[in-house]
Amino acid sequence: MVLDFLMNWLAAIPGFVVPFALAALGLLLIEKAGVLSLGAEGFMLVGALAGIGAILGLGASPLAALLCAALAATLLSLLYAVLVVSLRVNQVIAGLSLVFLAQGLTGLIGTGAGWVNRPVDGLRPVPVPLLGDLPLIGQVVFRQDTVVYLTVPAFALVAWLLARTMVGLRLRAVGDGPDAADTAGIGVSATRYGAIAAGAALVGIAGGYLSVGIARIWVEGMTGGRGWIAIAIVIFARWRPWSALAGALLFGAIEALIPRIAAAGIQVPQYFIAMIPYLATLAVMVWTCLRGGGGSMEPRALGRAHLREDR
Amino acid sequence: MLRRLVPLCLVAGLGSGLTGVLGADPAGAAPFKLDGPPKVAMVLFGPKNDGGWGQAFEEGRVRTEKALGIQIPVVDNIKESSSAIRPAVELFIKRGYNVIIGTAFGYSDTFKELAQKYPKVAFLNGSGTTNGANLESFYGRTYEPHYLCGMAAGAVSKEGKLGFVAANPFGVVNWTVNAYELGAKQTKPQATTTVVFTGAWNDPVKERAAAEALVGQGIDVIGQHVDTPTPQIVAQEKGIHGTGHHRDMSEFAPKATLCSLVWFWDRYLIPTIQKIGAGTWEPSPYGAFLSIKDGGPDIACCGPAVPKAVADQIQTERQAIIDGKKVYAGPLTDRDGKERVPAGGVLSDADLWKMDWFVPGVISQK
Repeated sequence: MVLDFLMNWLAAIPGFVVPFALAALGLLLIEKAGVLSLGAEGFMLVGALAGIGAILGLGASPLAALLCAALAATLLSLLYAVLVVSLRVNQVIAGLSLVFLAQGLTGLIGTGAGWVNRPVDGLRPVPVPLLGDLPLIGQVVFRQDTVVYLTVPAFALVAWLLARTMVGLRLRAVGDGPDAADTAGIGVSATRYGAIAAGAALVGIAGGYLSVGIARIWVEGMTGGRGWIAIAIVIFARWRPWSALAGALLFGAIEALIPRIAAAGIQVPQYFIAMIPYLATLAVMVWTCLRGGGGSMEPRALGRAHLREDR
Repeated sequence: MLRRLVPLCLVAGLGSGLTGVLGADPAGAAPFKLDGPPKVAMVLFGPKNDGGWGQAFEEGRVRTEKALGIQIPVVDNIKESSSAIRPAVELFIKRGYNVIIGTAFGYSDTFKELAQKYPKVAFLNGSGTTNGANLESFYGRTYEPHYLCGMAAGAVSKEGKLGFVAANPFGVVNWTVNAYELGAKQTKPQATTTVVFTGAWNDPVKERAAAEALVGQGIDVIGQHVDTPTPQIVAQEKGIHGTGHHRDMSEFAPKATLCSLVWFWDRYLIPTIQKIGAGTWEPSPYGAFLSIKDGGPDIACCGPAVPKAVADQIQTERQAIIDGKKVYAGPLTDRDGKERVPAGGVLSDADLWKMDWFVPGVISQK
């Protein structure tokens, strides 16, 4: 009985972790280049709509639908990039406007096209041969969908890219000291455009996964604030990729747990449990401050627009 | 949705107190009279095709048009703010429309102001809280259909382990959960209803998680009081059954759906518009809280999995409710053993709106 409960819970966790993890990873990529991205919720909304639209409107396969989700979020992110990189609009205001724009736009298109409440087949679990038959761990880890399997490699790729490659070095330089990077001959605007486009694609996939992978249905505003949670996860992780995955695990595990304890009829203070990840985020922030920012990888120029010759 | 669905409660709760204070309430003084024949228009809170609340009004509007042989123009996506509602309503009034139908809790205050500004226009507002000489809010006794659907759920379930996916634990939702369990006990005395509150009206991700968690606990019928059909779709995928809310969910889960709560707003709108036209309309100072027989929500029943005998039993019970049977009639104790309705008594409307207790057999977080 206890084992059943545990297995059901553990097997459900990856599905909940993926949207948080990919959104946080994309966000982290953008912010490492020194661009604040409060618009994550907007990219997710667009991704969720584009994913379902690709299936219902174009008959795309679920994986192709996720590509569409990435493309759509990237398209929207170019607008954001023009605003904050080229026009140097305040990044907080531009990010919030982006969310409102995405809310209105996705609602208008989705309801206009009649995509509301239309069930789709969506992503299905792909058991890994042999490993999927392992007792316990097979069910939890190796009977998931493709996106779950690709999430950890995606983190490895971004972590490697940031820490070990020239592209990553330039990106971090632009995020930490755009003026110095500029002097060194790095194209600050081009790097930020690239980071925004690539990061938004990841956030878009996270949104598409919500509609195509988990819910397999679309309704207006279905991201339900998960983009904001991704922002909290990046702060929790202090801008470190692997910590972001751990943060996503924490938030995802709790989100998977809450309905299960209710369904099992276990009496616990569920609102307290729902609060734990946020408490942890606050604790990490306080801890980072007390240590004088030691260990945090927060980009030093985060949120600051770069204007050449403007010191 | 939360804002749309906390209707009438203040009015109902304060009802008895207010009668004394406002003894000379103008609403009850004389019937409302229109200048000329009724010209009706509707203002929708969300999109017309949302598959739930808004669409139910849209379908009711079309049936009302047909029955009365009139045109009822509609404007949708009018959000719950004065700056959105006023221009839409005033444009209709300028064009000569004199019966305005609103559809949201959040319209309450603006409709009250507009009703005072335009005393020659009749205002009706679904799930509103304000009333007046030319304004009536209306909502349905949703626990009646959920009681009947609970009967279907209890009958079809093997061991009587029912699940329920609901949004937030407050009166309007709690009364559907309790009624569901009371109904299920009619057909399966040992039935239990395990509730998972998602905390959101419109989050299919959370609804799927809740439904799958219930299935994981061996539940074989899933009821719902949330806005999307996700719990029914999960039921269909898992080869079990479910009961719906807002619309006939067999549209989304033909094999799984046993029974659904369905809104029939035309059953309230048609006679009300006729009364307004005839000059005999007297809006209730406490709003219209509609039973099945007054045009409140009814059932779409039954799906193929419900045995004929049970379907007949449900229809008999439905008729009994129409004839005056009360779902919340005493003796009724809550699951902690506290008496809530004495034998021979009936739960008052005020107590319904603030229901914060569950009947025995409901399993939920405290």
